[in-house]
Amino acid sequence: MGSPEQISQIEDIRYVYGAIPVNFAYTMGVAGERFFRELMENGRFMGTRCQQCQYTYLPPRLYCERCFASLDDQWVEVSSRGTVEAFTVAHLDLEGQPVAEPQLLALIRLEGADGLLVHRLGETRAEDVDIGLPVTAVFRPRRQRKGSILDIRYFRPVAS
Amino acid sequence: MTTDREFPGTPLSDSDISEGKVLIVEHDPNARYAWDAGIAIGRFLAELKKGRIVGRECHRCRRIMVPPRMFCEQCFRPTDRWVVLKDSGRVNTYSISYIRWDASRVKEPTIPAVIEIDGASKGMGIMHFLGEVKPEDVQVGMRVKAVWKPPRQREGSILDIRYFRPY
Repeated sequence: MGSPEQISQIEDIRYVYGAIPVNFAYTMGVAGERFFRELMENGRFMGTRCQQCQYTYLPPRLYCERCFASLDDQWVEVSSRGTVEAFTVAHLDLEGQPVAEPQLLALIRLEGADGLLVHRLGETRAEDVDIGLPVTAVFRPRRQRKGSILDIRYFRPVAS
Repeated sequence: MTTDREFPGTPLSDSDISEGKVLIVEHDPNARYAWDAGIAIGRFLAELKKGRIVGRECHRCRRIMVPPRMFCEQCFRPTDRWVVLKDSGRVNTYSISYIRWDASRVKEPTIPAVIEIDGASKGMGIMHFLGEVKPEDVQVGMRVKAVWKPPRQREGSILDIRYFRPY
């Protein structure tokens, strides 16, 4: 059943403007806290490994998602080199606005880890990226790091 | 971080966050919205700006509804016709309120009321304020009439009517 009337003039629409104030402060959790502190202070990637399941979590998990074992004391360092598992070229920003320079975003599997990280690719062009491309993390200088995933500027290609 | 393990988990205090003891990501989403009044209420508000109260009639159940709606919730069919109603009516129910919408207190109470509008079906009414009357003089069934803002101050809002006064 269709609506018996329609609004054809956009200026006939009556609306009320509002704004909802919302402010979030996300904490990282116990495993995330250690992961980001290691990134910030030591410029290295730490994961957790379940010996039983032969699986290395990156980002780290405090519990094995497969067997529920505690991984509290199962920290392992993971290489900052890895390979591109999948990638995309973003032409729009988060608001849906066109970006001046298309962004390369990739899922990266670090050597020694089973989990994947989402990050930017840099020092390369879309046409030169392939799945399986070897890459390495480019860190910000120590004093610019804040304990955020953006302490890594991007991943750049390296010779395999 | 607290190490007290009376309960499982890792409790955080406000100071852990305010003193930067733990890493946080702050995020302030831009939660602005424009809320569309819809066809029926849109027209209702536009008519208020002209100084008229309008309702909507369903030809099947013969009810004249205010505030208007484009769909009859009793007959499950679109409503049929716009009807211009009077700007007078009767108090269906009322309240004497000593608080504002945000629950802050006021000395002089407001009197929000449901007013059954003349020309609409029994029980059909809109919420508004009563004015020019003392709280103790208000009665259910009392006849009231709209006090409008001057035309140039109206903006297509329910507040284009200032209040309803006894008459």
